[in-house]
This record gives sequence, structure tokens and C-alpha cells, in this order.
Amino acid sequence: MKGMLQGLGVTLKSMTAPKVTTSYPDVPIVMPDRFRGIQHFIPELCIVCNQCARICPTDCITLTGKPNPDPEKKGKVIDTFDINFEICILCDLCTEVCPTEAIVMSNHFELATFSRDDLFKDAQWLTDNNTLTRQDNNNIGAPAKGGAK
Amino acid sequence: MIRTEELLLNVGPQHPSTHGVFRIIVKLDGEVITEATPVMGYLHRGTEKIAENLNFTQIIPYTDRMDYVSAMTNNYVLVHAVETMMGLEVPQRAEYLRLIVMEMQRVASHLVWWGTYLLDIGAMSPFLYAFRDREIIIDLFNELCGARLTYNYMRVGGVKWDAPPGWLDKVREFIPYMENKLEEYDRLVSGNEIFLARIRGIGQYDAATAIDYGLSGANLRCTGVDFDIRKAEPYSLYSQFEFDVPLGKNGDCYDRYRIRLEEIRQSLRILKQALASFPDGGETMGKVPRAIRPPAGEVYVRIESPRGEIGCHIVSKGKAEPYRLKFRRPSFVNLQILPKLLVGETMTNLITILGGIDIVVGEVDC
Amino acid sequence: MLPWLNQSLTWGNALVLFLWAVVFLFIVLGFVTYAIYFERKVIGWMQLRVGPNRVGPFGLLQTVADIFKLLIKEDTIPRKADRVLFIIAPALAYVPAFSVLAVLPYTQNLYFADLNVGLLYYVALSGISTVAIVLGGWASNNKYALLGGMRSAAQMISYEVPLVISVVGVILLSGSLNLRDIVAAQSGGWFWDWNFLPQFIGFAIFIIAAVSELNRTPFDLPEAESELVAGYHVEYSGFRFAFFMLSEYVYVYAIAALTTVLFLGGWHAPAPFLEFVPGIVWFLLKFAFIVFFLFWIRATLPRIRVDQLMGLGWKVLLPVSLLNVFLTAAYLELFIKN
Repeated sequence: MKGMLQGLGVTLKSMTAPKVTTSYPDVPIVMPDRFRGIQHFIPELCIVCNQCARICPTDCITLTGKPNPDPEKKGKVIDTFDINFEICILCDLCTEVCPTEAIVMSNHFELATFSRDDLFKDAQWLTDNNTLTRQDNNNIGAPAKGGAK
Repeated sequence: MIRTEELLLNVGPQHPSTHGVFRIIVKLDGEVITEATPVMGYLHRGTEKIAENLNFTQIIPYTDRMDYVSAMTNNYVLVHAVETMMGLEVPQRAEYLRLIVMEMQRVASHLVWWGTYLLDIGAMSPFLYAFRDREIIIDLFNELCGARLTYNYMRVGGVKWDAPPGWLDKVREFIPYMENKLEEYDRLVSGNEIFLARIRGIGQYDAATAIDYGLSGANLRCTGVDFDIRKAEPYSLYSQFEFDVPLGKNGDCYDRYRIRLEEIRQSLRILKQALASFPDGGETMGKVPRAIRPPAGEVYVRIESPRGEIGCHIVSKGKAEPYRLKFRRPSFVNLQILPKLLVGETMTNLITILGGIDIVVGEVDC
Repeated sequence: MLPWLNQSLTWGNALVLFLWAVVFLFIVLGFVTYAIYFERKVIGWMQLRVGPNRVGPFGLLQTVADIFKLLIKEDTIPRKADRVLFIIAPALAYVPAFSVLAVLPYTQNLYFADLNVGLLYYVALSGISTVAIVLGGWASNNKYALLGGMRSAAQMISYEVPLVISVVGVILLSGSLNLRDIVAAQSGGWFWDWNFLPQFIGFAIFIIAAVSELNRTPFDLPEAESELVAGYHVEYSGFRFAFFMLSEYVYVYAIAALTTVLFLGGWHAPAPFLEFVPGIVWFLLKFAFIVFFLFWIRATLPRIRVDQLMGLGWKVLLPVSLLNVFLTAAYLELFIKN
């Protein structure tokens, strides 16, 4: 009897306690800076080293490069860059190994679409996704920071 | 003697209380179970096979998804195995961070178990209270590594992220808050006569049976066997901290319940000590070669996850990918005792016993 | 009310009575709608969340939306189910729940029927709902439903007995089965004249047996979600399921009103200086308190196992209720009659 009465007391007290829920769609959720949301791509910084495509555990990144249009400079620039969002697991390894921080995560997590076609994010979409970008990238895997080659 | 027909009932795979897609075929005689056959594999995703094509850093996100309720310990078992094989040193700060997140993960996992167990037994409110407290831990992890459930936090040789400023103070504030909440949980549930009548004496087995079936974690310690890998084969920094290992006496569901709640308390104790002696500076990654290539050979390491003993067996042929990677998953092994325990029980007790074993189907199937 | 009810049954009178019954039906439906809403709100507050608050202002139209959704759903009847029984079961569950409401008095002058055996009528009709649940479980042609129906039959029969015996003490004290007379017998003016204090054993047993009769937590085995996946109404969808839920909540109304009448003094005020407040307000307050108590218990307690339930009913409640009758009779014989 006593245990039950104590339990009833706990629920009665909780009835007047402050609520822990948020009214989500009306009140947006602010994620901390390190949150791994969908990526943001900066084509000017990309050197087409292919590290992100190689490290991706699910092989969702496909990219092609073309020789630099500027005849003075060497190396490649990015031509197409696609992330197949159906299989991206937001693991953040691609930003970890990028030597130039051309690909970074943002804080966007509301990613549902009405059609599967919209889930295939191309370079234009990823470049345009430039709000709420993550500041602290910590790309410890990049060669500049002593990571894997 | 009137001959009544036996009823073949299918519990699951879609069922509110099987903790995932898991199926048990029971033969019922009235309300008494005469035979129970678990059928698993509905959540098999081929993690071990996929791992044969990935290098070790790429496997870490996959380990998160095995036992998704307790992802930090899964991360740790893999990186610990690789570090043991390669003989790598992990810096002190990284070890402390690893230990802190693993103990916080233990608290979070036991909270999920507690909430869902009581929901199966019929009480609706403890679930909400448990998840309110777990939300605090998950938010702390979100600030630390950017994800709420699948952290991808540990790397071979250290951890990816250092604690952001103010994070350690938040963890320090969490400890007395959680201890207070444990008192509240005891008042809400642990003395409740209906609950005690439901749990005492159910699913009892002795120490010899537990060892024969290879049980681990709270399922083994409820019979009185004092075996906790953190004490028996200390890994990480556990040998430096003082904590008790709660033991049971009778081997029934009530002992398992009390042991897991007590383990939360002990985890908070470890956290307090770890935060007190946290090093001020230091690296979060050790000296790791550019390409992680363990030498040819094999290794098996085991750690104490909230569910029991999780082990990682790696066979390597000197390449960046493992030749064979096997996880000894505690939920899978602990589940083997279910058919034996269920014979002679009623349907209600099936739910009580299954919840008491604390399985996560992602881990059963891997 | 009494002289008007005693008139002869002409067509005009019958029509008026029918219309009053329809009005009452709407009042009861309104109660059910807002009882469900308040249950979700109160349990939500106890669980540190808000409960429904989006549909309509403060979520007041939530139940309306839910009932509407249930009504527009497809009416599925499993192919191998027993059609006639499947269709009859929800109606049969609802009819006794609504018809027992006829004997409940709300104030001195507001009641529908003044049966001299009102209490007996109530307990007799409430037994019929057990049949409906067994029918629903059997006709569904589903093992889970059958298990739920069988459990429910066992449970409801076992708890009818202590329920009835526990009110015998009240009958002894009031000397009548007429519900209005029972309330009149509690009219001392103070709250300690109400039957819950002199008959505290009977009150405790009545509350436990009533919660069990309503199939609510901690006795909600017939619809134990986590074990039997909704028990006896697992195959019912749409409007028929709404009927089962409706009958459960109309029963809540009936039991709460009956408890108020039998044990909490009906429409009497707790103290003489509060008698300026009309009786219907007191009735509603006590009624609301009992309904809140049912919600409170649901939010807190876990479920009892079926064999422990049987043990509790037969081995504890029945002997204690018999003891209560004996003690009441002995008290009346020794202290009152002399």
C-alpha cells in the first residue's frame, strides 16, 4: 500500500512540474554547432583529391573533375559533385578527410522530401545550402593535419 | 482427462513489446507456455560482411548501428581491438573522454531499459520520466560529437572531438540531478506492491546455468557470480577508479532490475571521480600511422557494455581492411536462455522475462 | 420529477420521455468526449508533457477529430469471423452501459427513474457487458482476441461478486435499495455522515472492484496493449471500435455517479454552512474527483497479472467484503436496534 501511495504522490507532484516538451514546428530546434546535418559544398576550394569519395562508408559521393580552365594553374577543378542522400548516413567522415574544407556539414536536419529524386543532391544544391554551416570542422583526417593519405 | 488443443501463437515480429523486430513462436496450453522458439534475423544487415571491404575508420559508423542504444561502447570495442593489435598508445585526455562518454552511455542505456520495461509491465509514466533524463545525456552528446544516437566519435588512437568549453561543467551538474531522479524512480516504482508481485521470482535461474549459457552483464550477476569485465580484466582507465559491482542473490527478474538501477548509481560515481581527475590539457588523438594497417594476426578483446560482454574478434592479413571481423554480441548470447526460461510460464511472464534480459534487436541480428 | 413520471403512458408522454432520453444521450456523449480529452490532458501533465493542444483551441476538438477519423474508416470484418456475433458485440456492450444510467439521481428533484430496486437494477445490467466482451473476442476469429475475451470474462465475473457484496453494507445502513433513499440516509449535514467513513472497508473494496469492472489500469488485462496487442477488440476498426471505447467511458460515467451516490453523499454539501451552493454542483465536483482519481491511477500503476488478479478477487476481496457485511449487521443489531 505504501509503495503505491508514494507512486501516486510522485505523479501528482509531476502534474504541476514544468513541462519538458517543446512545441516543435512552432518553436524551431536549435542544434549545437557540431551537429551533423546535410552537407554544404564550396566548389572553389575543391581540389578533386577524391578523399571524400574514398572514405565514405556507404559510397554515396560521386564526383568528376575537369582540368583547370585557367591555363596558368595546374590541377583539376570540380565538375560534378553528387551526394546520394538515400544512403548518406551523416557520419561526417567526408568533412574529416577533406584537406581544404571544401565540404562541411550544416545544421539542417529537416530533410524529408516528397520524391526520391529530390534526395539526390547535386553540386548546385549543396552549394546553395549555405545557411547554418558548421563552424568547427575538426578535419583531423586531412593530410594537412597529419591524417591518412 | 479432457484433451484440449494446443494453441500456436506468434509473438511478433510486429509487437509492441519485443523491443524490435523479433519473433517468438509459442505453443500455449491455455495460458501456459509449453514450448517457445525464438526466431531472429529480421534486422540482419550484414555488418560483419560489409566490414570486410572497409577500412577501420569506415567501420566505426557501422558499429554505432549495431546496438543503437549504447553506441559508444560499440565504438570503443572496435577501436580498442585495433589499438591492441597495433600496439598504439592513446593519450590520457582521450582515454578520459572515452571513459566519461562510456559511463554516460551506460546510464542512458539503462534508462531506456527501465522506461521500456515498465511500459511493458503496464505503467505508462516511468517511460516519460526516463526519457526526460536520457534527453539530457543525449543533448550533451549532441554538443560533443554532433549526433544524438549514432555518434561516430571514437577513432583508432583517440577520439575525434575534444570537449567543447563548458561541457564538462554540464556533466558535473548532471550527476547530482540524476542521483535525485533515481530517488524519484524508487519512490514511483520500486516500492510499488503490484510491480513487486509481478517481478519477484520470475525467470529464475542459478549460477551454473548462467555460466553454461554464457550469459553476461546483469543477467550473470543476478545469480551472484561476481564477474564484471571492468574489474576482472580492466581496460581503459577503470583500474584507477573505485566503484562497486552490484550483485544479486536469487537470479530472478527483480534482482536484475535492482542491479541495473544500482549500476546507474555506480556509473555516476565513476563519472564523479573521472571528472575530478580530468587532465587539463592533452591531445585527443595519439600517434597514428597514416594508413591503419594492423599486422597479420588476430585479436579478441571484450568490454562491459550495458547489456553484457561485447567482444570484437579481428583477423587481419596485414591490409587496411580486416579479413574477418566478428562481434560477440551480448544480446545474441543472452537470448539463448529464453526458450528454457519460458517453459511453464504464462504469456504475461513472457513479456516480463524478455524485458528483463534487456535485448536490443539491432545487436541480436547485427 | 416524481409526479410527472407517475403519469399514464400516452403517446404524448412517451414522445416526451424519448426526447428527454435523446437529450440525455447527447449529454453523456459530451461527457465522453471531454472525459477522453481530459484523460489525455491529465495523464500528459503527470508525464511532464502537455497533452493534445493543437486541434481547436487548447486541443478541445481533439476527441471530435478522433471520432470523426474512426467513423470514416473502412469497416473491416475478417472473412472467417462470425458475422452476426461480430456485429452484435459492440452494440451489446453499449446497451447495458447506457441503460443503467436511468436510475442515477443527480439532485433531490433531478432523476430519470425512481426504482425501488435501483441498485439491484444497476448491478444486474452491468453483468451483461461481460457477455458482449466474450462475444467480441470469440467472433473475431483471432487467437489474441480470444485470449483477451476469456481473460476479461474471468476478470469481470470475479469482481462482480465483491462489488455487489461491498454495497450490501450501504444497503443495511440505509435500509433501502432505492438510490434516492440511500442518498437521503447520508444527509447529516457534515461529510463524516457520508457512507465512505462508516463503511470504509466497503468503500475500499468498491473502488478496487469498480476499477476492475471498468477494465482500466491496473486491471486492464483484456486490453493489455503490450501483451495481447489490444485483446478482445483487436479486429474491430472504425465505428465498431468507437462503440467499445464509448461503452467503456459511459461505464466510467456510471460508476463514478454510482460511487458518488452510494458513498460520497450524492448532492449533499460537506458542511452545513456550504449548503447555499446548489446540490448539482456538489454532485459534479464529487463526480469529477472520482473521474480524476481513475485517471491518476491509470498514469501511475502497472498492470496486475491475471492469476494474481484472480487471487486478489477471490481470496482477498470476497472474504473482506463478507466480513464488512457481518460487521455492519452486528453493529446495527447491537447499537442501533437497542
